[in-house]
Amino acid sequence: MKNVRIWFRKFGTAKYISHLDLNRCVARAFHKAKLPMWYTEGFNPHAFVTFALPLSLGVEGRRESMDIRLLEDMPKQEIMNRLNEALPKDIRIFDVTEPQMKPGKIAYASYEIRYKTENGDLQLIKAELETLFAKESIPVQKKTKSGMKTINLSSYLNRYEITVEDNQIVLNIVLPAGSTENINPSLIGDAVEAELGYRLYAHIIRSSLYDDAFHVFV
Amino acid sequence: MNQKIEHLLAKVQKPGRYVGGELNAVIKHKDHIDVRFAFCFPDVYEVGMSHLGMKILYSLLNEQSDIWCERVFAPWIDMEEEMRRHDIPLFALESGDSVADFDFIGFTLQYELSYTNVLNMLKLAGIPIKTVDRKELFQIVVAGGPCTCNPEPLADFVDLFFIGEGEQVDLEVIRLYQACKKEGKSKAEFLKAAAQIPGVYVPSLYTVVYHEDGTIKEMTPHQGAPEKVIKRIELDMDKAYYPDRFVVPNIEIVHDRAVAEVQRGCIRGCRFCQAGYIYRPVREKSIDMINHQCRSICENTGYDEISLSSLSTSDYSQIEGLLETLLDWTDDEKVSVSLPSLRVDGFSNELMDKLKTVRRSGLTFAPEAGTQRLRNVINKNVTDEELMQTVRTAFEGGWTTVKLYFMIGLPTETLDDVAGIAHLGQQVVEEYYRNPNRSKGRTVKVTCSASSFVPKPFTPFQWEPQDSIETLHKKQKHLIASVHSKKLTCNWHDANTSFLEGVFARGDRKLCKVLEAALECGCKFDGWSECFSLPRWIEVFKQCEIDPLFYNQRRRAYDEILPWDHLDYGIKKSFLIEECEKAYENDTTPNCQEACSFCGATCFKGGICVEKR
Repeated sequence: MKNVRIWFRKFGTAKYISHLDLNRCVARAFHKAKLPMWYTEGFNPHAFVTFALPLSLGVEGRRESMDIRLLEDMPKQEIMNRLNEALPKDIRIFDVTEPQMKPGKIAYASYEIRYKTENGDLQLIKAELETLFAKESIPVQKKTKSGMKTINLSSYLNRYEITVEDNQIVLNIVLPAGSTENINPSLIGDAVEAELGYRLYAHIIRSSLYDDAFHVFV
Repeated sequence: MNQKIEHLLAKVQKPGRYVGGELNAVIKHKDHIDVRFAFCFPDVYEVGMSHLGMKILYSLLNEQSDIWCERVFAPWIDMEEEMRRHDIPLFALESGDSVADFDFIGFTLQYELSYTNVLNMLKLAGIPIKTVDRKELFQIVVAGGPCTCNPEPLADFVDLFFIGEGEQVDLEVIRLYQACKKEGKSKAEFLKAAAQIPGVYVPSLYTVVYHEDGTIKEMTPHQGAPEKVIKRIELDMDKAYYPDRFVVPNIEIVHDRAVAEVQRGCIRGCRFCQAGYIYRPVREKSIDMINHQCRSICENTGYDEISLSSLSTSDYSQIEGLLETLLDWTDDEKVSVSLPSLRVDGFSNELMDKLKTVRRSGLTFAPEAGTQRLRNVINKNVTDEELMQTVRTAFEGGWTTVKLYFMIGLPTETLDDVAGIAHLGQQVVEEYYRNPNRSKGRTVKVTCSASSFVPKPFTPFQWEPQDSIETLHKKQKHLIASVHSKKLTCNWHDANTSFLEGVFARGDRKLCKVLEAALECGCKFDGWSECFSLPRWIEVFKQCEIDPLFYNQRRRAYDEILPWDHLDYGIKKSFLIEECEKAYENDTTPNCQEACSFCGATCFKGGICVEKR
């Protein structure tokens, strides 16, 4: 038996596949691809698949991964080809590796957020965002298992960069991610709306995952 | 995906409904296409994507290199609101293009309560809803599906209806359209020519004159349109087109599995069931063909479940042989097989053993009526003893959940028949405790679910009045009062929606203006309890000066001209009258497998009518 980590991009129409639906979607793809999958041995056997970290609905993933177990070896290219044939067009496998880190080690995620506005001076908005981000207190409502909770977003805005390119504002930012603490990048949009009074259309891309020492998740 | 559409998605529930991009979705180049066909299902994505007819016709049309068929579903109310606010017209999933850009806008009419959605979708597309207001040979609105057996309530809106099965007639109409376009003909010329194609009904070529009491005096065809439009039918199911792949949805839909159609039609002749009459005669597919189709669909989709679909799959003459053939490979490939429709008298030990390899859920049977007398009336030829035998088999096999479907409001029904539903449920509970090997510590759960009977065209009950809402409520109360066990649960469907369904099922052209007014009042998704409002509908009827009771609660005379009399499904009216009279005598009719009852379907010269019994 061999553990295999499958790397994929999830974009375009596939951004709107929820985590639960993604599970179903890849299960079908593995079935269609006829990979020598290891099946769980419970009452209701199913192919064993775990995702490194769920991706929010509507967010693009540039370097997502899932782990499977194969009963026998198969060349990397063969796995990729078979899966890409079986998946919806906007989920693309780009690599297959041996897992190095455990998904539980994930502590941070980097995001590239592209803000668009139909009217408005981009340099001005950029300046407003910078002022907002520098504030000591930015209260936002975060949904938790025990209901809504107010958190101070400001304490998480430590590593970021704002630029203007191609008629949009690009925010590159690192936020806590993983099982212990997770900050959804859509909270930034909420803060902008609450503090600055306008809604920016955000194209959010999760570009990579890191452990607590900022080593890239591999 | 269109940028403008994408901006709306952040604000709506289940955005996956609106983006397409699924495995096996067909993308073509607009420039290489001659005819664009928008296949519209007037309900949400999850419902429409579960529909087999759409899968068949989608693939069939897309196999033609010069036609591009795309899917369109009704946006849910949150999305509709966003689309209206941002001025985004109804769009097709494959290209994201506006439905107004299409040559054909085709609707499938699966249930009457979706009619307002048909109009609403046209409106959202920015297409004039009335036939007379669409003057060009473009944006041809067509419709098919079971409800077209009485298309009159939609006569003002739909240019042409497909009567019967669509596999061949759809293409014939498209080819005619191409020819007419090439020759620079008008829409009127196209429609006139289309009416000559068998199975095509062009409502604008018929005028209806009414008596003073609102019943039909005469219906006259013009411009050479046929007196009677005869339904189209696939005679050899092994030669009928069937797709080798389905579009695989990215979000979960209602029926998320591979579907094999094992036969069309039903041998039974239950007198309440429209499908049992309009799809006659029964035509089976061969085991080899079904097996082959199951394999290709599983291979091309990755589905690990196959549903053997038909009106009554346990009536397939070689059901055990079919299951054996399928289980030969499905077990190894971890594919499960399920039968959606089991008959009380079709559940044998052998069948159960084969189904047991499949994931176990509850078993569902439909006795339809609580007493033997009433089951004779509706020609549901199963006995209490057969039901008990069946549940005994199921309980011995380890099943503990049984669901029983019934109807209330059936013709001749008394309160004793209603109480009979609860009594039958109780007997099933007791049967469980008679099994000495029942697993201790588990308990039996029996659910009796009662829907309200709606009389439908082309059935022996097409002349019957429908029970009033008050009567249905009284019967529902009586049902619940007759339940004396916690193991037995009884529930029922909303009588209000059945009321409206009853109006449109047997409606005529006078209802067109009601639908138009309902659209203005914001009626849509009437099949959804969160959207349906009977008081709003009553207001609409009042405003149009139309009495809904004329349609659903009036007893019609046998000699009345019915709004669907010019459509011919092969079933003779004299046969339906005979059946109705037999119902009043509590008399049954043998099924097509046992003996021919001369319904008229032999005119198609196929299926069980010509095969050896």
